[in-house]
Amino acid sequence: MAIATELHARRYEVDDALAANELFQRNGWTDGLPIVPPTPELVGAALEWLGLAPDEIVGIEPVRGIAITAEVVAINAVMAGCLPSFVPVVAAAIAAMCEEPYLLHGSSASTGGSAPLIIVNGPIRQEIGMHASHNALANGSRANATIGRAVRLLLINALGCRPGTLDQSTLGHPGKYTYCLAEDEEHSPWTPLAQERGIPAGTSAVTVLAAEAPRQIMNEWTEDPEELLETYAAEIRANMLHYSIWPGNYVIVIPKQHRDILAAAGWGKRAVREYLYRRARVRRGDWHAAGKSAIARRGDPAQEYAAFETPDDALIVAAGGPAGGFGAIIPPWLGNRGRAVTRAIGACVEC
Amino acid sequence: MSIVVLDPTLAYQPPAARLAPRLPEIAGRTIALLDNGKKNVAPFLDAVEALLRERYGAGEIIRARKPNQNAPAPPELIAALAHADAALSAVGD
Repeated sequence: MAIATELHARRYEVDDALAANELFQRNGWTDGLPIVPPTPELVGAALEWLGLAPDEIVGIEPVRGIAITAEVVAINAVMAGCLPSFVPVVAAAIAAMCEEPYLLHGSSASTGGSAPLIIVNGPIRQEIGMHASHNALANGSRANATIGRAVRLLLINALGCRPGTLDQSTLGHPGKYTYCLAEDEEHSPWTPLAQERGIPAGTSAVTVLAAEAPRQIMNEWTEDPEELLETYAAEIRANMLHYSIWPGNYVIVIPKQHRDILAAAGWGKRAVREYLYRRARVRRGDWHAAGKSAIARRGDPAQEYAAFETPDDALIVAAGGPAGGFGAIIPPWLGNRGRAVTRAIGACVEC
Repeated sequence: MSIVVLDPTLAYQPPAARLAPRLPEIAGRTIALLDNGKKNVAPFLDAVEALLRERYGAGEIIRARKPNQNAPAPPELIAALAHADAALSAVGD
C-alpha cells in the first residue's frame, strides 16, 4: 500500500499483538487499557479513509506550537480501536480542540481535571453506528467508545499530557478514558446542537468542550416544564457553589421522557435555554452553606452570579434511553476559560 | 512471525525554540519575575526577590502578573518584560 511507505513514525518489531501491547504499556503510551497495535497497514487504511497525507497538519496546539499530523492522529485512533470510518470524527475533534477558544493546553494541564467532551451531530452518527439512546453517556457503541478514547490517547502521546507531568489534574474523572456523546436527532423534535451553532443541516459536525463529569438529575414527578427544568437549574446552582461559580458553556443532556414533556408543552431548545438562563443563578452569600465562608465574606452577600452570560451558552443535547426521568448537566472545566467549539467533519463550512 | 508497530508519540517536531544562553552572573542585572496569578505565588516571589537582591546583588527587579492563570502571558506583557536580562516564571496554586 502506497501510504504505508510514506509514514514517518519510528517502527518497532514485536512478536505479536500481545507483545505490542506490553511494549506500549511499558512506554507509557496507553491509558492503562489494552491497545490495538498500530501497524503500518492499519494506520494506512485509517489515513486512506481520512483522505489526508501522513504529514498533513490536522491542527496546531497554539501554546507550544505543536503540529499534530494526520499520521499521529491515525496511529492513536487505531490504538484506541477505531475503524477507519471513525477517524474523520477524531480528526475533526482534534482540529476543533486546537482552536484558541477551547484552550487545549490550559484545560489539559489544569488541576481542575477536565476531559475533552465530544458531541457528534449529523448523518455520520448512523453511518458509523454511534448510539444516542440507551446508556448514551457510557458504553454501547464501538464508535462512541473508541472516538473518545482516540482523542485522549493523542493528548497523552502527541502532547505529553501524562499525570504528574503536564497533566496536573488532582482527581480527573472517568471521562478521561472516553467521553463521546451522539445526539439522538431521530427521536427529537428539536434542532440538532451543531445546526443551532451554525453548521448547515445535513452536515456532520463535532462540538468539543473541556468538561467535568456529568451531574445526573432525576425528576419523574411532574408534567410541568418549569418544574422539570427547575431540577436541572438546581443542579447547575449546586455546581456553581460546590465547584465553580463562573459562567460558561454547560451541556444539558435531556432524555426522551423529559423531551416529551417539554415538547407537549410547546417548549423547544430556545425556551429551555431561556428558562435555565433565568434560573441558574446564585448569590455570593450562598457560599456560606457550602463551606466557603472565606470567599463569601469578601464581597456583598447579595451579589448575584449567573451560570450563563447569554442563553446561547447553554448547549442542549437530546440523548438518553426512552424510559427514565434522568437528565444531566455537564459543567465546563472553568467557566469561560475554555469555550465549546463546533466544527464540520470532512467539509470546510467557511470556505 | 513478527509484526511492525508505529510509535504514537510526536518524535518529529519543527524546531520552534532554542534555550537562551545562561546569564554569566546576576549581580547588577535586570530580572523579571512573572507571577502566574494564583494565590501563593506572590509570597514565593517576594522571597525570591529578596534572595536575588541580598545574596546575588541583582540590579532592577521587575514584578509582573499574568492576567489569566490558564493561558500564556499576553504578548504586551511579554514585550514589557523583554528588556530584562532574564525572567523567572513562577507557578503557584
